[in-house]
Amino acid sequence: MNWELIGDILLATVPLLVIFPSMFALTTWVERKALARIQNRIGPNKVGVPLTPYGGKLSLFGLGQPAADGIKMLFKENIVPTGADRLFHLLAPILSLIPAMLVLCFLPLEFPWLNGEQNSVKAFMLDGAVIFFFAITGLNTLAVFMAGWASRNKYSLLGGMRAIAQMVSYEIPLVLSAVVVVMIVGSLNAAEIAEAQAGWNWYVFQPWGLAAFVIFFIAALAETNRSPFDLPEAESEIIAGYFTEYSGFKFALFFLGEYIAMFAISGLAVTLFLGAGGGPGVEALPWLKVIWFLAKVCILIGVMIWLRGTLPRLRVDQLMGFAWKFLLPLSILNIFIAGFAWHAKNTNEGTAVSVIVWVAALIILYAAAKGLDRVNRAKVKPRTYQYGE
Amino acid sequence: MNEVTAFWVLAAISVIGALVAVRKRNLVHGVFALLVFFAGLAGLFLLLLAEFIAVVQILVYAGAVGILILFAIMLTDRVTGKDAFRVTSRGSFWGAIIALAVFLVILLPTIREIPLVENATPKDMIVEQSSVKELGTNLIKPYIVTIEVLALLLTAALIGAVTAAQGGRASEKEENA
Repeated sequence: MNWELIGDILLATVPLLVIFPSMFALTTWVERKALARIQNRIGPNKVGVPLTPYGGKLSLFGLGQPAADGIKMLFKENIVPTGADRLFHLLAPILSLIPAMLVLCFLPLEFPWLNGEQNSVKAFMLDGAVIFFFAITGLNTLAVFMAGWASRNKYSLLGGMRAIAQMVSYEIPLVLSAVVVVMIVGSLNAAEIAEAQAGWNWYVFQPWGLAAFVIFFIAALAETNRSPFDLPEAESEIIAGYFTEYSGFKFALFFLGEYIAMFAISGLAVTLFLGAGGGPGVEALPWLKVIWFLAKVCILIGVMIWLRGTLPRLRVDQLMGFAWKFLLPLSILNIFIAGFAWHAKNTNEGTAVSVIVWVAALIILYAAAKGLDRVNRAKVKPRTYQYGE
Repeated sequence: MNEVTAFWVLAAISVIGALVAVRKRNLVHGVFALLVFFAGLAGLFLLLLAEFIAVVQILVYAGAVGILILFAIMLTDRVTGKDAFRVTSRGSFWGAIIALAVFLVILLPTIREIPLVENATPKDMIVEQSSVKELGTNLIKPYIVTIEVLALLLTAALIGAVTAAQGGRASEKEENA
């Protein structure tokens, strides 16, 4: 056996398996606290560290909550419905966690204890990292379907079908908005995309990059079933959707998988648009790259939590219409604009041209977004009341 | 040594997945066995350093085609997954003969044509340029006409599908209006 290789692989993968699940634990606490503050509540604030067996504890703003939740999940009864397909009922949560964990490898996280020469790091920095990312996150849909089908429950199946329809629709704007960056960099390699944005040359500062980032982020919300696109698990309509029949540790796996998928897709957004590990002081201290990367991921997660507390859930027809009639045309237009902007910059020198291109691209994109919005809205008539007036 | 082990493991996964997909009476189980087969095939492609084909295998077959088949099953009453439904296989005899013929006439001569590389090391196999880049350059430079014609064909098929799906409803609306 090649022990050195195994050591390298462990050095590259174990940090991912440690950092992201612990971030998950903290995020559940942050999410509950933030949502509570948005709704004018206090949120979890009791669970802490017990100091003596007789009382007295360090409550630490309820930071013990994730640990308490984890222990609760582990010891809850595992209930499988009588009519359920036992094998698939067991496999579905596992299958939902595997793709989410797997794609973390493709993020350009440069841990300081790995130098770029090592094989294991190169193995993950595949040339097709971005397309691998999309291919493997797509498998999550299958896990959702599996869960919905195996539970032998109407609500589960409805949730599963909703999830498939939603994920398939939103995958298209997600990929098309990422195409822009791939096209400009000329590489599908995550590390090369990160390098291309070194030194504040982030793509989010370009008009097409900004548009692509917004489209990507919205589609990412839908891909990970986050509010306001959480129709597959809409509590008020279909109980909990595809994981209605799940309890205990299987439910915890679903929960973990969902959050890891959130981290992964935020990580991809950071890689593509927000300069990956770029930030102040990176040249002097290279290990800051990991810190900046994770900090940006945390900020995006914070925005997701904020949106969850702010926006109401969409209707199914609004959801589909938004993906196909708004995001899709806009992301296709964005590809053209990025191409023209890139061409104009390459053929002409000088700041004046780049400023004009920048402003023109922004105006075109804004006008297109407004126009699409109006076209889509035109069919909605003001509501008339038969007996109300 | 490692590559050989990986090959046998992946080949076993693929073959078992394919066999289960064909033999399983529960259609949904069959689809997921088929997906296991696709995943095994993607692994084999990765082993051959054809990472782009591997990823397309996952993206198109395991992702898109799998979901498509599941959607189709959803519209039939096989969705209940009862084993009572028996898939009738009357032509199994002729099917086996055709499969054997394909193997003997097409596959076996092709395999014999390929020169065996003795004592090949992984270093010899690594191509200088990455497969994705080479593929992209080839698609855009020499094969641009082919890809454009294909794109046109696919667009036509897409528009045709939309028209076919909407045809009845559009005429109804005209009648109502």
